[in-house]
Amino acid sequence: MSDGSERVLLLVGSPKGPEKGSSARLGRWIVDGLEERGWTSEAIHLHAAVRTGEGRQGLLESIDRANLVLFAAPLYVDSLPAPAIRAMEQIAEHRRAGDTRRVPRFVSILNCGFVEPSQNETCQRILQWFADRARFEWVTGVSLGGGGRIPRRVRRAFDLLVEALDLEILVPDEVQRLTRKPLMPGWLYVLGGNVMWKRWADKNGVKDRLRAQPYRRSGS
Amino acid sequence: MEKRALILDGDLDDGTMTRGAGEVASDALRRGGWQVTGLPLREIEIAPCLGCFGCWMKTPGVCVIDDAGRDVARRMVQSDLLVYLTPLTFGGFSSELKKAIDRSIPNLSPFFRLVRGEVHHARRYARYPRLVGIAVSADGKADPDEEELFDTLVRRNAINLHAPAHATCVVGTVDDDEVRRRRIEWALAEANGP
Repeated sequence: MSDGSERVLLLVGSPKGPEKGSSARLGRWIVDGLEERGWTSEAIHLHAAVRTGEGRQGLLESIDRANLVLFAAPLYVDSLPAPAIRAMEQIAEHRRAGDTRRVPRFVSILNCGFVEPSQNETCQRILQWFADRARFEWVTGVSLGGGGRIPRRVRRAFDLLVEALDLEILVPDEVQRLTRKPLMPGWLYVLGGNVMWKRWADKNGVKDRLRAQPYRRSGS
Repeated sequence: MEKRALILDGDLDDGTMTRGAGEVASDALRRGGWQVTGLPLREIEIAPCLGCFGCWMKTPGVCVIDDAGRDVARRMVQSDLLVYLTPLTFGGFSSELKKAIDRSIPNLSPFFRLVRGEVHHARRYARYPRLVGIAVSADGKADPDEEELFDTLVRRNAINLHAPAHATCVVGTVDDDEVRRRRIEWALAEANGP
């Protein structure tokens, strides 16, 4: 249990912001658990932070104050959204140039729209390289599929993760075991997902145009 | 039909880091009869993807943001060879390159399908460009693990973006011209470029 001096910084790398969306919800889950254990917290929306000099400065100062950096983001084409990468470039440059005696711990939580959590693994490796370059202490990366839903076993994994982070002990293997398994078989996800897309398009009146090819090259 | 190559240059600052590698790639492609277009992305205003799925569910195939990102996405899918040119950034792409890639998802279908047992988006178009990733390492020589990560990332992109072939190379800022030229030409040839 922290005496209030431990500080977690939640970095949300989703365009949907620090409150809405799966990344914010997943990150908040961990932050709430740490707050219950006496931690203080701060959240920064990376898309907003990299837009202005003031936002960038605030981001870097928050990094310097944090004991734990919690990076929550969606998977965009096997990597992170561009503004999240921009923030990482700025953070790494700042940490290389500045005083890095203070080494915050670093945890990433990635979610993707495919059913397999394993599709986040390339991006987790990118974040490990970032942590190394920014002189953070890599703790673990949690990967979730299915749009970042939080079923009971993932809640259990998050509880274990919160406990390990608070006590500064090794994250139990159980966390990876509980989060690694897809929510359902791939064929079922494809079936259900495709029905959802059709219904959504129907509601928007574009069901007949779903396969449109506006950029088809002439002659192909 | 003419062979079109599009080079997306993801250099962050004044272009000095990727310039040499970009020129080598351009020259090799032109010698091979390709029509080459290079886009210095740092000079092009492209808003970040909103993650709204509007390009699938409101205006299928076209991003809801009306800016240069639409034109870049169109050029991407209408090319025969797409070259990602980027400073090696934590084993991946720079933010400048990624802003264009993020905005290219209108070129995919929202529908899911299984590819070797894994869920991916189906194709919207009959044909997609071959993909070559050229990364320039600021450290002079990249760590082999970071180099392998870059290759994995481009391979994963090739699956998601339906590229019929792909190849990568990582060159260092301190590599001599001949080494750099050989590596880049090998990657282009591997993806059946020139």
